[in-house]
This record gives sequence, C-alpha cells and structure tokens, in this order.
Amino acid sequence: MALNMLMIHPLVLAKLEVGEHLYWQIGGLKLHGQVFLTSWFVIGALLLVSFLATRNIQRIPSGLQNFMEYALEFIRDLAKNQIGEKEYRPWVPFVGTLFLFIFVSNWSGALIPWKLIHLPSGELAAPTNDINTTVALALLTSLAYFYAGFSKRGLGYFAKYIEPTPILLPINILEDFTKPLSLSFRLFGNILADELVVAVLVLLVPLFVPLPVMVLGLFTSAIQALIFATLAAAYIGEAIEGHGGEEHG
Amino acid sequence: MMNFVWLLAVEAAETVEEGGGLFDLDATLPLMAVQFVLLAVALNVLFYKPLGKVLDERDGYISSNQVDAAERLAKAEQIAKQYQQELAETRRQAQTVIAGAQEEAQKIASQTVAAAQQEAQAQREQVQRELDEQKSQAMATLEQQVDGLSQQILDKLLGSLAA
Repeated sequence: MALNMLMIHPLVLAKLEVGEHLYWQIGGLKLHGQVFLTSWFVIGALLLVSFLATRNIQRIPSGLQNFMEYALEFIRDLAKNQIGEKEYRPWVPFVGTLFLFIFVSNWSGALIPWKLIHLPSGELAAPTNDINTTVALALLTSLAYFYAGFSKRGLGYFAKYIEPTPILLPINILEDFTKPLSLSFRLFGNILADELVVAVLVLLVPLFVPLPVMVLGLFTSAIQALIFATLAAAYIGEAIEGHGGEEHG
Repeated sequence: MMNFVWLLAVEAAETVEEGGGLFDLDATLPLMAVQFVLLAVALNVLFYKPLGKVLDERDGYISSNQVDAAERLAKAEQIAKQYQQELAETRRQAQTVIAGAQEEAQKIASQTVAAAQQEAQAQREQVQRELDEQKSQAMATLEQQVDGLSQQILDKLLGSLAA
C-alpha cells in the first residue's frame, strides 16, 4: 500500500500538470490562456531587449548592443551554414525569431517560477510546453520551406519529389508530413518531459535533488531551440538548392 | 498491483478528455502562428535590420580600413626602400668625391714637389755656374800672375846673364 501511495503521487501530479488549460472563449473559439500569457511575456521581453539594444547604436558596441550583436551573429552563422552564403539573408529573421522565441520560452519556463502565480485553472509554463505552439511553429516552418522552394525554383520544385529516382516519390511526399510532425513533437516532448521531471522531483524531494535535473533542463532547452532553428534552416536550404545536392558540386 | 496502476492511468486519461488534455489542438494554434509571424516582423524592424546594418557597415569599415592600412604599409615600405637606395647612391657619390679629392691632392702635391725640385736644380746649376766662372776668373788671374812672375823671373835671369 505504501508503494501504491508512491505511485499515486506522480500520477495525480501528472494529471494536474498536464491536462488542464485556462480556457478563454473568443466567439466560438477556444484558446489556451496560460500559453498566451507566457508567450506575451516572452514576446515582450524580446521586443524590449531589442528596443533597448538598438536604441543608441554605436560603431563600437558595448553592453546590450554587444550582446545582441553576438546573438545576431550566432543566428546569421546558423542560417549561413544551413542555407548557404548566397541565399541566407532573407531567412535570417525567420530562423532567428524561431531560435529566440523558442530559447527564451524554454528558459523562461525553466528559470521563472511561474507556478507561484495561481490561475483559476491550469498553470503558467513555457509556451513551448503546449502542443499548439510547437505545431504552429512547425507548420510555419513547412510553409516557409515550401515558399522558399517555389519562389526559388518555381514549379521545378516538384522535381525534387522524384529526384534521385521516382520510386522514392511516396517517401519524399511522406517526408513533408514527418518533418513538421517530428519538429513539433520533439520540442513539445522535450520541454514537457523536462518540466514534468522537475515537478515530480520537486514534489518528492523538495531540496537540492532536483537541481541537477533543472540544470540539465536548461541545457536541453537551449539545445532544443538550437535544433529547431537549425532544422528549419536546413529544410529551407534543402528546398532552395534542390534535393540531390548536385549544385553543391 | 499492475491493474491498479492501469486503472489510475485510465482514470487520468478520462479526466483529461473532459478538460481538453495534452493534445488539445484548438484556436491557440493559428493565433500563435499569427503571433509568431508578427513577432518576426517586429523583430525584423527592431532588431535584425538595424543591427545587421551595423554589422555590415562595420565589416565594410574594417575591411576598407584594412585595405587602406595595407596600402599605406606598402607605400611606407616603398619609401623606406627608396630611402635606402638614395642612401646607397649618396654614399657612392661621397666615395667618388673623396677619391677624386684625394687624387687631386696627390697630383697637386707631386706637382709642387716637382716644381720645388726643379727650382732647387736650377739654383744649384746657377750656383755651379757662378762657381765655375769665379774659378775660371781666379785661374785667369792666377795665370796672369804666373805670367808676370815668370816674366820677372825671366827678366831677372836674363838681366843677370846680361850683366
């Protein structure tokens, strides 16, 4: 029975944690309020930092401008490596916003004690903790690489579906579905699992023991943001330069 | 035991069904997408464009400065080379000037010496000539005296004979 008690706690906790949302009704539409609240916080933080960093631009950067330039160079390198020197520039805002939004979301979920703010239902957490957010980002990525492919190669973009050989047509079509699926579920699963592990450990042993897992969570969160942005850039790059990569030489 | 856990899981899943659940896709999705696109646009205006411009301008500034500096370095090296060449040239000229001066001095010295020797020779010859003249005069005077004396001797002898 003691074991049963032990089993109950995580399950009850998991049920409380995961299932519930703060529903907002707009017209006939249902929204997850807690996701929007934290996402507005993340968006506000990003906009505020960007505004402060670019308010007084100097040739010799210092302080916040320096930091944000570092971030921008990091994003540019990421996009350049995946998309290529010639084509990467128009995609920097998209890839960069993906990275920044996911990164700040994940870290805000891991670092800010949202749970101290009580909501009538559900609880505040990282926006990437919600499947809607990750699916939205993944579908935008799909749209982005379709747009990239069509704008660069026109209808010739369809040639990539039969490119190495027409036998691979079904697999190539399947790929367009697995890409957003894997993108969204990877991010969603990692962040949710991390927050659940931390929450369960905190419930079981409230002191010190969850710390290594929290640090690991920070690391995973950063890596997930990087993976999402890198993969999005890689898909865009692939759509632009063709499937076989012959143009690579 | 396993049954109990299973039951709990089912129970949890059921309650989740009512409240929406883990995979509850609804209008959050499109709104989040719109929100994200708006964020990208806003960050593009607020962050990527201005800072990207600064980065590019700085790159241009640095590379142009670098080119400029390289040019100036090349120029400086050329000037240094030219200076070395001129220095060598000047040294060579100085060397020739010195050599010429030495040669000239040598010539003047030898000329002076030769002139002095000539003069000394001429003086010596003149002195010799004067000496010779005086000697011959003295000889002539002596001869006259010899003549006179011999006449006197002759006269005395003849006179004694005659007497």
